[in-house]
Amino acid sequence: MAATTTTPAPARTAPLQAELTPRARARLAGKHALLIALSLLMLFPLVLTISTAFKTEQDVQVNPFGLFSSFSTENIVTAWTVGGFGGYVLNSLLLTVPSTLIVLALSTMGGYAFARLPFPGRDLAFYVVVVGLLVPFFTYMIPLYFQLRGMGMLDSLVGVNLVLASTGVSFGTFFMRAFFSDLPVELAQAARMDGASEWQIFTRVMLPLVTSGMGALAVFTFLQNWNNFLVPLIYMPGGDYRPLTTGLYLFLGGRSIDIGPLAAGTLITILPVVVLFVALQKQVTQGLVSGAVKG
Amino acid sequence: MTRKAQARLGVLLVVPLLLLVGIFLVFPMINAVYYVFVDFNGINPAPPWVGLANFTELAQDPDVWAAFSNNIIWIVLGTVGPIVLGLALALLLWHVERGSVFYRVAFFLPYILPQVAVGVVWGWIYEPSRGWLNKVLETVGLGGLTTGWLGNPDTALYAVLATAVWVTLGFVFVILLSALKGVDMDIVDAARLDGANGWQRLVHIVLPQIMPVFLMVTTITLLGGFSVFDIIFVMTGGGPAGASEVLGTLAYSSAFQLNRISYGTALALVITLLAIPFAVWLNRLQRRVSLEGTS
Repeated sequence: MAATTTTPAPARTAPLQAELTPRARARLAGKHALLIALSLLMLFPLVLTISTAFKTEQDVQVNPFGLFSSFSTENIVTAWTVGGFGGYVLNSLLLTVPSTLIVLALSTMGGYAFARLPFPGRDLAFYVVVVGLLVPFFTYMIPLYFQLRGMGMLDSLVGVNLVLASTGVSFGTFFMRAFFSDLPVELAQAARMDGASEWQIFTRVMLPLVTSGMGALAVFTFLQNWNNFLVPLIYMPGGDYRPLTTGLYLFLGGRSIDIGPLAAGTLITILPVVVLFVALQKQVTQGLVSGAVKG
Repeated sequence: MTRKAQARLGVLLVVPLLLLVGIFLVFPMINAVYYVFVDFNGINPAPPWVGLANFTELAQDPDVWAAFSNNIIWIVLGTVGPIVLGLALALLLWHVERGSVFYRVAFFLPYILPQVAVGVVWGWIYEPSRGWLNKVLETVGLGGLTTGWLGNPDTALYAVLATAVWVTLGFVFVILLSALKGVDMDIVDAARLDGANGWQRLVHIVLPQIMPVFLMVTTITLLGGFSVFDIIFVMTGGGPAGASEVLGTLAYSSAFQLNRISYGTALALVITLLAIPFAVWLNRLQRRVSLEGTS
C-alpha cells in the first residue's frame, strides 16, 4: 500500500523523560491525565453494560445502573437460554462467515483481473462493480425485498448471505485492485518466462503477496456483516435465522424492562466484535484508514 | 498467445462478481427506477402507472419536509461534532508515545460496535429517573435541566445525535491522527522559532498539510448523515411523534409498515439524489489523495 496515511514519515521519537524540563514534564502529565479521563468517558457505556450484565436480579431491580454493586452470572444464563441469544450467536456466524468468504474470494479475483488482466469490456465491467460505492443500499433495498420474495429467498441463509456479500464486494474489489496494482509487473513477466500459466501466476505468485490486504479486508468485512442490522431486519421477516443485531432489537422491544438479561444480551452481541478489535486493532484501523483513503 | 490467455482468465475471474452485482445490486436498482413511476402496494402484479405523482406528493408532504430538516440538522451537527472533537483528540495524542495504543483502542472502539447495542446502552444513560445523565446533572447542581431525553420531542433528535457523535469521532480521530504523522515537523518547528503560536501553527502550517485527508473524512461523515437509519430506528423509532424522524426512517416505515412501496422507494431515491454530488466530490478527493500517496 502506498497510501499517504499508511506510510507515515518517520515520526520524531519523543525525547526521553529525563531530558524534559520540569515544565514540559508537567505538560505531558497533564496531557495523560486528560487522555485517561477522556478514554474512561468513551469506555463508560461499555463499563455500564458489563456492570449491569453481571448484577444479581434483586440488585438490577433496585439499582440497575449502579456500577459493580453485585455479582452473578444469572443474567447471562437467562439471555443465552430464555432470551435465545445462544441461537442468535450461531445465526450471526451463519450469516457472517459465508458472506465474508464470498466477499473475500470475489473481490480478490475481480481485483486481480481489473488490475492486471486486460479483456474486452473491462472498464465497463469495473464501473458496474464500483457503482455500489456511489449508490447507497437505501436506494434499492425496497425493490430488493420483492425481488427476493419472488426468488423464494426471503428468510433464507443463502439469500441473505448473498445480499450481505453484494453490499461488500464493491468496496472489496476496489480495495484489492489497489493492492494488485502496487505489485511490480516484472514478477508476472519473470514467471511467464519460466513457463507458468496465467492461473499459476495468479495463485502462486500474486496471491501470496496480497495476503495482508486480504486479511484487512476479511476483518473489515466480518465486522461490517456482523454489525449489519438493516439487511436481516428487512430480509428475514420470519426470524428463522435471526442474528444478534435484530435479536437484540426484538428483545429490546419485547422485554425492555428486563434490564439484566438485556444487558447480558448486549454484552453477548458486542463481545466478539470487541475481542476481534482489541486483538487485531492494528489491522482493523490500518485497513479502515487505507480503505477510506484508497477506496 | 499470452494476451488471449490473460483475457480468458480475466473474464473467468470477473464473471462470478458480475453475476452477484448484477442480480443483487444493478437489477433492484433498475427496479427502483420503475417503482417510483407506478403505485405499487406490494401485492398488485401490474401496478398502475402514475408518472411523477409520487414525487409531487412527496414535495407537498409536511412529514417529508420535517424529516428532511432533521437530516440537515443531523448532517451539520453530526459532521462538525466528530470533526472538531476528533481533530482535538488527534492533536492531543499526536506526539504522545506512551499508552498511545490504549488511547487509540478506547477512542475507536465505539465506532466498530453494532449500533443496536449502542442504542440500548445509551437509552439507559438517557433514562429519566435512573439514567446517569440526569444523575450527573443533579449532582453538579443542574437538576433543572433533567428530562426524559429520548421521550421529549425537543431533545430526542439531539440526544440520538450526541450518541452518533460519540460513535463517529473515533473514526475521524484515527484517520486524522495517521494524517498528522505525515506532517513535516521541520516546517512546524521553523514556524515555532519564528514566533507562531499554537493556533497559528495549526491553521497555517498543520491543517494545510492534512487538508485533502481532512476534506475527505469530512465528506465521508457528511455522506453518512444522508442515510442515517440504525441508531435512530433503535433509539426512538423516529419519535416521539415524528420529532426525530429522518428520510431513512420515513422511507422504511412508508414501505414496510404502511405498504406504500412506491412512495417509500421514491423517498429513498431522493436521499440518493441529494447525496450524489457529495459522493462524486468525495471520489475526486480520494483519487487526489491516493495519487499524492503513490507519487
